[in-house]
Amino acid sequence: MADQADFEKDAMQYAPQLYSAALRMTRKPADAEDVVQETFLKAYRAYDTFTAGTNLKAWLYRILTNTYINKYRKQQRRPAEVELGELQDLYLYKRLGEQSGAAQSAEADMLDAFVDEDIIEALESLPENFRLPVLLADVDGFAYKEIADILDIPIGTVMSRLHRGRKALQRKLWTVAEARGLTGTAQ
Amino acid sequence: MTSGCEHALEYVYSYLDEEISFFHQSRVSAHLRTCASCTSAYEFERRLKALIRERGRTEPPPELFDALRALIQEEREGGGPR
Repeated sequence: MADQADFEKDAMQYAPQLYSAALRMTRKPADAEDVVQETFLKAYRAYDTFTAGTNLKAWLYRILTNTYINKYRKQQRRPAEVELGELQDLYLYKRLGEQSGAAQSAEADMLDAFVDEDIIEALESLPENFRLPVLLADVDGFAYKEIADILDIPIGTVMSRLHRGRKALQRKLWTVAEARGLTGTAQ
Repeated sequence: MTSGCEHALEYVYSYLDEEISFFHQSRVSAHLRTCASCTSAYEFERRLKALIRERGRTEPPPELFDALRALIQEEREGGGPR
């Protein structure tokens, strides 16, 4: 059992990551702050049910995602169980490869042209059921099993949503690159 | 495109996520040593993953920490549900 008196000392280090994740979920700074504050309050109240020495970061993320889902999914007319169309594997790599021709490793070098806003726009463009696994895996570095526990879905579902979500992210990055004239096709 | 390429491309994410069995990891690693085309694809995906990790995060406003401390303080002193 964790001691409630230790909560602030133990949990505060995760506040920046939790805020960032909440911002990618809600897309609005004020809403992200609300979600993080509510998460901290719930976590503080429940801290004596947390087993000290286990994965605090994952425990806090579980509360965060539940808070977000309860607070914001209700506002939507129907849950966002969006399907993505069929996309080829290595989508961005292949599209960039078509542009750069034969030059070896040119595709990877083109990644340097993306700025923070491009990555954020692409992440936030994903439908929610794909966005959460991608955020948890690629931004926050959680393992598949941890993501399954945080989102309370089977590990196979994590893997398939992650796979499809990443392809959709790559497609969005491609359209961002095109719009910014990074691909050589929009000039 | 050999069967080694097909295998390597099937496991690209589980390999980079380190969520792969030793058997498949060894097979992919061996293939990558001999295949420039798959190595290039793996290098791209590895760099993209790192890019999302580095650039996908936003720092909170500094006031957030004070707000969280105040919230806990209030809860500790006031107790009970709001």
